[in-house]
Amino acid sequence: MKGGFRQSMAWLHTWTGLLLGWLLFAIFVTGTSAYFQEEITRWMTPEVHSVPADPASGFVAATEWLQREAPGGSEWSIYSTGKRAAGLQLYWANGPDAPADAPTSARLDGTGSEVFARETLGGWFLYRFHYDLHYINWYWARWLVGIAAMAMLVAILSGIVTHKKILADFFLLRFGKGQRSWLDAHNASSVLFLPFILMITYTGLVSLATHYMPWGIAANYTDEGKFFEETAPWPVPAEKAGPAPLAPIGPMVEQAERRWGTAVGSVRILNPGDRSAQVIVSSAPDAGMSIALRSLTFDGVTGRPVRAQDPSGAATVTEDTMIGIHAGRFASPLLRVLYFLSGLAGCVMVASGLVLWTVKRRAKLPDPERPHFGFRLVEKLNIAAIAGLSFGIAVYFLANRLLPLGIAGRSDQEIDSMFIAWGAVAIWAMARPVRRAWLEALSATALAFALVPVVNALTTDRSLFASLAAGDSVFAAFDGAMLLIAAGFGWAALKVARRPSGQGRRKTAARGSSARGVPGTEAV
Amino acid sequence: MSKVNRIWRGARWRDIAARTLAAVPLNYAVTSALTMLIARLLPGGGAQASIAATMLSFAIFAGLAMTAFAVRSVARLWIGLVAAGLVAGGADWLLISTGGRL
Repeated sequence: MKGGFRQSMAWLHTWTGLLLGWLLFAIFVTGTSAYFQEEITRWMTPEVHSVPADPASGFVAATEWLQREAPGGSEWSIYSTGKRAAGLQLYWANGPDAPADAPTSARLDGTGSEVFARETLGGWFLYRFHYDLHYINWYWARWLVGIAAMAMLVAILSGIVTHKKILADFFLLRFGKGQRSWLDAHNASSVLFLPFILMITYTGLVSLATHYMPWGIAANYTDEGKFFEETAPWPVPAEKAGPAPLAPIGPMVEQAERRWGTAVGSVRILNPGDRSAQVIVSSAPDAGMSIALRSLTFDGVTGRPVRAQDPSGAATVTEDTMIGIHAGRFASPLLRVLYFLSGLAGCVMVASGLVLWTVKRRAKLPDPERPHFGFRLVEKLNIAAIAGLSFGIAVYFLANRLLPLGIAGRSDQEIDSMFIAWGAVAIWAMARPVRRAWLEALSATALAFALVPVVNALTTDRSLFASLAAGDSVFAAFDGAMLLIAAGFGWAALKVARRPSGQGRRKTAARGSSARGVPGTEAV
Repeated sequence: MSKVNRIWRGARWRDIAARTLAAVPLNYAVTSALTMLIARLLPGGGAQASIAATMLSFAIFAGLAMTAFAVRSVARLWIGLVAAGLVAGGADWLLISTGGRL
């Protein structure tokens, strides 16, 4: 490239960051929300009052429930919802006598009685969106997300190389100085949170590693299936051999917990009530930093252990720990908040980088009043991506409370509401002058988030005050978070409204551009 | 002046296109060949070697992508990457055809 190494890396940082920045913002925002996936789901199913219960007795109660409701099935799976939400998720395969439309899943509370809640995908949808997107095939969605993640990795590394004074920028945040402030916000969020941002990008790629780079397996295996059979065996029900009663599940769960010293996360029962029955007890995914699960297989009739599976091997442990650190399921409440704040810093980094691209170029335009098409497109896409998605998420929460409870495909309609709202902001941004569009979109987002606790109070008996009085920390914190986010967007809208327009803004921008040579400016 | 400008811009775009092609599709092919080679050479059994090589591949890809925009000569960049890909790919083929796979 023309110019030195630093200049070419600055160029690379700018363009990889811009081209994938909009998608990265969506991945970062929804991924950050996923640290509170369970809590979001609990807020979105207000009918469920979680009953704390001993997980071991929960598995026993769930088995009894399945014996009653799904006899003759070839496979039962019971998953604990983890230490943050007492409950059990059940899946089963019906036997040949069951009608074709018989249910195959249910949710139980900690005591083993079925829970009926509104149809919603809750926080799980936002989590899945962060790597599978929506409306498009997941296979190609993962490639898009992977390309964005790799562009992010290259943008981070080239950003580090471009940066002259990393330590000084730790303490540099100057407000109200136009371009300088945007650069400071971009630098502070990325430099201060650099370990997190590098970690989350690399471990994100590792989480879907074999999707992006299947050739490492192809070098040693003729077929990917053989590799997965060896590293993550998934036994299937054998041929049925004649009825025999299922051994009690309780002692098996207790034996596994004693052996591992950690909680059990799931129990799979193959061919229950048959002589060939097997019970596979697996450890909880939130028990440790690594997501690697240990499992103990029992004979389903005698109740004796027949096989133990413990993950081993340096590469396996490294991979599972990387994925575990990415997902943060093990995190204590305090660490979870830190994860969330770090994720927010990532969102700020991407958003401020996108805005910086336009702020930096505006001053250099031949006619700043009439920018060229590419510049206008970036400005509008920034509004659509940053304010549009945020507005959409607020509408997703509102739709959860406002859509009628009984309608068909309710969970899909919640999701559609989010994308309709997002698209509406995008169209609005295209139609309006940029500054007005920012102001209006940010105000609408602030209003929508502020409405979430209000609508919650009007449509359920679990308002912020009721939650505070009842000591319900999840509901109170969710409503409180909505108000904080609303305040954040309101503050941003106020900043846009107060910014001097026209002549004044051009002057600020021109002053900003004369700041070239200031450390760090060449990063953009 | 505008003609000179146009030619300069054309050259610049050709330069960027050649580097982008080297940094993305060519890089993916070279990284894949290198990942396979590492997976063949690492000790500890097929599964462990494959996992370790796969995890390393993203660092290799990112490093090569940055190199593609850092080096001065586009011609040398292409020659270097193609040569590395051919050598690694040849070694992969040789190791697999003599050692077999699981």
